[in-house]
Amino acid sequence: MVLRALFLRPAWRRPLRLLVTALGVAIGVASLVATVSANRAAVAAMRQGVLELSGPRALEVTCPGGLDEAILAALRPLADRAAVAPVVEEVALLPALGDAVRILGIDPLLDPRLPSGTAVGPSLLTVLTERAVLLPEPLARQLGLAAGDTLALSVRSRLEEARVAAVVAPPPPTAAWERTIVMDVAAAQELFGRLGRLDRVEVRPRSERDDLADLARELRRLVPAAATVAEPVARAAGTSRMVRALHFNLTALSGISLLVAGVLVATTLATSVVQRRSLIALLRSLGASPRQLATAVLAEALAMGVVGGTVGVALGILGARAALASVRVTAAAVLPGLPPAAIALDPDVAVAGFLLAVGVAAVAALAPLAEALATPPLQGLRWENPQAAAAGRNRTALAAAAGLLLAAAGLTQAPPVGGLPYAALLASLAVLAAVLLAAGPVVQWLATLANRGPRWWRAPAVRLAGGALLAGRRRAAWAAGAVGITVGLAVAVTIMVHSFRVTVLDWSQQALRADVWIRPLASPTGFGVGRLDPEIVAMAQELFGRDAVDPFHTTRAVVSGREVTLGGGAMEVIARRGGVPFRSGEDSRQVFRRTAARRGAVVNEPFANRTGLGEGDEVTILTPKGEIRRPITGVFFDYSRQEGMVVLDREDYLAHVPDDGPREIGLFLPPDRDPAAAREALLRRLGGRFLVEALLNRELRREVIAIFDRTFAITRALRVVSVVVAVMAVLTVLFALLAERRRDLAVLRAVGASRAQVGALVLVEAALVGLAGAALGLLSGCLVGKVLVEVVNLQSFAWTLRLVVPWPNLAGTVAWLVAACLVAALAPALAASRLVLQEELREEG
Amino acid sequence: MEEAATAGQLAGPPLVVLENVSKRYRRGQEVVAALTAVSLQLQRGEMVAVTGPSGCGKSTTLNLIAGVDRPDAGRVRVADIDVSEADEASLVRLRRHLVGVVFQAFHLVPHLTVEENVALPLALAGRHDAARVDALLQRVGLAHRRRHYPGELSGGEQQRTAIARALAHRPPVVLADEPTGNLDSRTGAEILRLLDEMRREAGTALLLVTHDDTVATMADRVIRLRDGQVEAVL
Repeated sequence: MVLRALFLRPAWRRPLRLLVTALGVAIGVASLVATVSANRAAVAAMRQGVLELSGPRALEVTCPGGLDEAILAALRPLADRAAVAPVVEEVALLPALGDAVRILGIDPLLDPRLPSGTAVGPSLLTVLTERAVLLPEPLARQLGLAAGDTLALSVRSRLEEARVAAVVAPPPPTAAWERTIVMDVAAAQELFGRLGRLDRVEVRPRSERDDLADLARELRRLVPAAATVAEPVARAAGTSRMVRALHFNLTALSGISLLVAGVLVATTLATSVVQRRSLIALLRSLGASPRQLATAVLAEALAMGVVGGTVGVALGILGARAALASVRVTAAAVLPGLPPAAIALDPDVAVAGFLLAVGVAAVAALAPLAEALATPPLQGLRWENPQAAAAGRNRTALAAAAGLLLAAAGLTQAPPVGGLPYAALLASLAVLAAVLLAAGPVVQWLATLANRGPRWWRAPAVRLAGGALLAGRRRAAWAAGAVGITVGLAVAVTIMVHSFRVTVLDWSQQALRADVWIRPLASPTGFGVGRLDPEIVAMAQELFGRDAVDPFHTTRAVVSGREVTLGGGAMEVIARRGGVPFRSGEDSRQVFRRTAARRGAVVNEPFANRTGLGEGDEVTILTPKGEIRRPITGVFFDYSRQEGMVVLDREDYLAHVPDDGPREIGLFLPPDRDPAAAREALLRRLGGRFLVEALLNRELRREVIAIFDRTFAITRALRVVSVVVAVMAVLTVLFALLAERRRDLAVLRAVGASRAQVGALVLVEAALVGLAGAALGLLSGCLVGKVLVEVVNLQSFAWTLRLVVPWPNLAGTVAWLVAACLVAALAPALAASRLVLQEELREEG
Repeated sequence: MEEAATAGQLAGPPLVVLENVSKRYRRGQEVVAALTAVSLQLQRGEMVAVTGPSGCGKSTTLNLIAGVDRPDAGRVRVADIDVSEADEASLVRLRRHLVGVVFQAFHLVPHLTVEENVALPLALAGRHDAARVDALLQRVGLAHRRRHYPGELSGGEQQRTAIARALAHRPPVVLADEPTGNLDSRTGAEILRLLDEMRREAGTALLLVTHDDTVATMADRVIRLRDGQVEAVL
């Protein structure tokens, strides 16, 4: 009956408050589920991209820069024990699709992965003797192609054609195979200019009982020292690790959204207890036990959690589709030709999201529950003065808040764990928790201020609002705390994104100096697919002169024990105008000239921060042609990648790495040459034989920012979530404060206050609560923003960002939020102004 | 102080005993003596009115008996429970089984029907007695309004519901704090009559606080308080 009286019946008759709070929980859960689901889908796609194509029980022999196919002869002693299969794996752009696909070059006679269930027999000859492909059914359907048709591909920017030998049903699981085209390995080598080289050799034991570890040991004896023998899962883990930091940070930010939702639940429950204080007291008078009261309060909390969790999980899946676009951009930078990631709700994510919602609601109910249990029986209520704010309590709260801030400062000094900034994120949570503690004293200070100050400030509505806040201090503190946390999160994310954006903008202005950039056609993620044909380099040099052309090559390599990107650029060309900014502050032109002259290497900041190597140190590079050592001549800022990069002069690079064609070409034109005209001239010269994009400098910079904005779309969404929850919290509390003081407001009317004055009183209260929350949020948000920029980013991505606080933007956010609080207060203000005096003032004796 | 005379005492030990009870309250900087060495008893089945001007300690007396407050000195006993020292579980037992309360402002649960309000004390004790509830509703003349909510009732009807609720769990003691204070004189008289009849039928002791002397005439005894002390027992 207590449950019915306190919770069920009121919820049934007036479900809005329960639903609004549940919606707040749902939003928090949805953001977490969306982020985790999108992360998982992207990582799963990356793993699929590696594991599904490799198949079970296989070992891979790989080498940075590729393997010489002579290794096949070296592995002949294993012929009885294992099947040895050469593999070339590349990406190509399908112009008809507008997206990248994988090209898997295998030996169709030996490789067991050839998609089964297909009458490959007659088409096998075509595959072996012509440039022909096996097309997966889903892709063939999408392109409208059948066996015998011609497939157009962009390979090294060259428009190539291949015959469709057969359309095959992809083997399950199908996700990675749906975007994988199979061809003969030799044809793939010829198509991609990889003659004599392989990406890897796959070794599969002939017997199921053969021990893989033992086979691996035997393999290591036969392969070159620079080669690696491992299972495919190691390669999958390596690619996943590259995006781990981003995924972790996004998930952590979403977790904070759930914390914000928890604060909303606590605020709502606390105000619910206030509104039903008399009812709780009556029930105590009639014999309700503490357990019965607790059951009712917890039931309300759990209802919010259950409804919010259920709706949140459903909304999360919808949100995951949007979030995936943002996450996929980052993943595609690491693994081009990423298979399409399907958003499926993993049962454990759904369960975890639901349980988190319920758990957060239950924890949020603890303080309101304590208040409910402390409510005396009805007759004792009149003697109570629960809102008197003891000075001692304020001091304790402020001391605790200060303690949390000190703890946060200490945590920011702690190193990352496994490359992830756990301590720094805990520091951020500590700062936000300090907001909750400091909310009470700040509200009290503001309320007291309302009674002092110049005469114009002490209008009746202002003074009465101050008094009301003092009387309802705890409730107002809850609301101010909720607003403070949400504003804090919004401010912190704004500072982080703005700092990042300004840093990237500044960096791109210095780094992107070429007049024209030429690259392969890009996939929808914005990244170019594959490489450029070396013939394009020759054409560009012929048109503009060698001194104006900077072809930039990249490959994977092991440098000082780490797998990084090894690059080669024409440093003498770049040195004429300069390029990326260097950490030492030295003019980049001098650094590039010195690098070319001394046959040195420049490294990016992530590499330097993770290895501890810098100017003056030496790097050891494992190239396909052997190990080389180079002195580090400079460390450059690099916000285009999270992983390490080492760059040599192009001539030095090509002396040790086969020329597969550059990733991009920069044109550095003389001042009197019009870049747009130069672009046109080059494209005419390419004459439709090559599919390239040629971007002018300003176009490329715009694109860099567009990619940046897409990547951070999810964090902007989190900011909006925070503000919505803040407004909900204020609305909930204002109605509760109104309920608590109906009699007082009626008395005001009875002694001469107008309806407008009573309404104004409520609006001023809302403004004061909003101001308290905004002030706390601004301060805490700046602190958390500083932690995110200077600690979290550094520990996660090894980037040094410039802290730039967008004060006008923040002032606008705060002003907007206070305005939103005022708008939210209109309904309670209207209700207050319409109180029926005779009902409220009836004597109770 | 003087012990209250016990004219018209019924047989058996007293149900409620206050022995030299004192209670002080702090109001800001001031300490107010609400009660000073008050002693009184309530016998089984008797009706006692406590009268006096505002601030004389009438409500404090009720609060002490209901276990809402504890005395600063002296002892308060209700049946076998020493309220002065009772723990929470004992106080819950006191309210569920020994004491029923009628308030001046009715204090019905707005979200429960008349029937549910009357059944509330039983439900809180984990009991369900539809026949009892029905009988009470019939007795107070509200059987036809059982599914209505308090907001749909007149003041008199609400107080009748409250009386039924106070007696639902058959408490030996009913405390009524100005039960007619919010009613017009005619309705108030009807309520008092009903309250008196029902408590006689049930053999319940009634301690009624009022500042209305005419109400006091219905009681077996009248204890007059002034400035926190027993001024007279009539």
